[in-house]
Amino acid sequence: MEALIDELKNKIIAALSLEHIRPADIKADEPIFGTGLGLDSIDSLELVSLLERDYGILIEEMSVAQKAFASVRTLAEFVAKNRKN
Amino acid sequence: MNDFVIHAASYLGPEGFGNDQTSLRAWPSPLKENLARGELDGLHWSLLSDSDPSRFLRMDLMCRLGFMAAELLAVNFDAMSDARRDRLGVCAESFTGSLDTDIRFAQTPRPSIFAYTLPSTVVGEICIRFRLKGPVLSLISPATNGANAIAEAVEWLRDGDAEMALCLGIEAMNGSTANSVSLPENLLSRDWHGAALLLGHSENSPREKPFVSGALAEVCRKLCSCRNPLAKSIR
Amino acid sequence: MGASLETAVNESAAAIAGCGSVSATGLGLEPLQSAVAANASALQRREFVIGKTSQSIVAGFVPDEIVEQLRAADSAHADSRAFLFAAAALKQAAKNAGRILDSVPAARRGFVLSTTKANIEALDKLVRRQSVSAVAQRQIQPAFLAADLAEQLDCRGPVQCVSAACISGLSALQQGAAIIRRGLADAVFVAGVDIISQFVLSGFNSLKSFDPEGCRPFDKSRIGLSLGEGAAAIVLVKRKLLSSSATLLSGCGTSNDANHLTGPSRDGSGLALAIRRALAKAGIAADEIDYVNAHGTGTPYNDNMESLALRSVFGDRVPPFSSNKGIFGHTLGAAGVLETVLCVAALENNLLPGTPRLRERDPVAPDSLLAKPRTATKLDCVLKINCGFGGTNAALVLEREAP
Repeated sequence: MEALIDELKNKIIAALSLEHIRPADIKADEPIFGTGLGLDSIDSLELVSLLERDYGILIEEMSVAQKAFASVRTLAEFVAKNRKN
Repeated sequence: MNDFVIHAASYLGPEGFGNDQTSLRAWPSPLKENLARGELDGLHWSLLSDSDPSRFLRMDLMCRLGFMAAELLAVNFDAMSDARRDRLGVCAESFTGSLDTDIRFAQTPRPSIFAYTLPSTVVGEICIRFRLKGPVLSLISPATNGANAIAEAVEWLRDGDAEMALCLGIEAMNGSTANSVSLPENLLSRDWHGAALLLGHSENSPREKPFVSGALAEVCRKLCSCRNPLAKSIR
Repeated sequence: MGASLETAVNESAAAIAGCGSVSATGLGLEPLQSAVAANASALQRREFVIGKTSQSIVAGFVPDEIVEQLRAADSAHADSRAFLFAAAALKQAAKNAGRILDSVPAARRGFVLSTTKANIEALDKLVRRQSVSAVAQRQIQPAFLAADLAEQLDCRGPVQCVSAACISGLSALQQGAAIIRRGLADAVFVAGVDIISQFVLSGFNSLKSFDPEGCRPFDKSRIGLSLGEGAAAIVLVKRKLLSSSATLLSGCGTSNDANHLTGPSRDGSGLALAIRRALAKAGIAADEIDYVNAHGTGTPYNDNMESLALRSVFGDRVPPFSSNKGIFGHTLGAAGVLETVLCVAALENNLLPGTPRLRERDPVAPDSLLAKPRTATKLDCVLKINCGFGGTNAALVLEREAP
């Protein structure tokens, strides 16, 4: 799970163009949204797109996404459970 | 009332960047060498501004070039009243438009870049940045010199549709993007630049500023019609 | 203003001489007007592979038999649907304009194209290493598409190409009218075109913009838009060339919200500003507007913002208004021209269009929303509005002269 958490931190930084953020700056148990990262609704759609592209997970309802995106850890657990690649 | 004034001008391209108050400054190395080779992804906000880069990092290449060209004129906008910003028009012109981003999106569709697959998004970004509510126009032309944008802006001023106007000429194409798909060479532009002119009425400006006459606008318009033989000869 | 100056100004106003269209309703104005009269939707469901999954999309597709018919008539452009649609609409518009054009030499004919992505499906194919004709590749570039269409029409006056997201169509009409007013041409062909492609489908899909069952503009339970494809064309001529009473493009206005990038400014003030500019240019007051044709995409955000903008401009006397995107979808670069064509038809038939696919009006929307078409008691002055990505807004006033 820790390896997946690190992998996801790196992917989040790349996908959301968070150039000044390093993986160590993102805490696994803190909220991804509603923090100093300054993310918006397009960013949550971008993460949904990333999940489909990289893990084969199709999200139809944004409410499912919102629960998964509560923190990097919840996202990792969601990915581990639902991934197809 | 047929004479209009260039209040300010800015440029960024392979030779360097600058505005009417500074001379053209060379890019720092190694960026300079990359830009000369057509690798443009290293162009960075931080070269021009200390302020928050977050919107900039999301922008595509076309918006970055236009945004930086406008940012080089920031001191002019910062001095403006809200009333003036409300009637400041923005007219953008390009040949390649959003093609660099279109190619990247076609290869890897991502929601965050979809909004940038439009040559008019740069106008939106600049209007947000400087709170401009004026008339807007976004043209794609077969010539890459932005003269149509100037001609239209002059008409806005002449008709009273805007009090001032920002004209943008942008060509954005990363070498590696162009090489990654087999498009005909005449669809691409290996010349890249972002250029901006801030135009206004002669009454509103100090006398030292250069003049753009309405007649020049007419000449520019004729040069840039899509019926220009250039468009036909590069089949 | 002296009578002779006013006459001079009016003589160079832009009047509408002819229209044409290609849309989900079919080829030409007849099926379009039939759909309006019947308040019918021409949206269809098709399966597409987007990314790695097959998805069911409801959109305004130009019927396959029309596409085949157009390809058969012009095999050189068989894989450039953008060209085929635009050329077909232009041909109809020219035919409907009739003898008027005989008096306008090529050097006095202008052309303005409106498109967001031109022949983008050729780029989709190139990226997948599929074969694409040279002309289809060339017409990925909007200015070349414009040049080629202008050449086919033998327009040797000014040629422009507008690419400004969803306000492109109204912006192009504004440019066409300006070209005439400035004396640069006596007739201007204005065409708007966009095609449904993998490119655009995957983009809007990734933004979760669609209503999977089809758009419901201004509906209480609306959840998203439906794309559309097609083309529309309008021949504008100098008013002086028409002998009978005309429909004029009497004013246009544009603005930027200067707010968030993909959602319109919450309070509708940007759109209200564009409307006020158009009214000022037309020299008319808000209470002279008999009907408003809305942008009305069916997204929760857009329709709400438009409702606010209409109330801001018209107070509690919002004129009857409707959205037609339930008929043919959101046709992007074609929208402004296609929806204006629909307004011209409304003026000619004295029939106010309804809002197809509406079930229950959103209470936020003004109650003058027309669910169904109805005959107008007075219909001389129409306001057409569109808003686009990047916070842009455009408004156009059409006025029918008294006979």
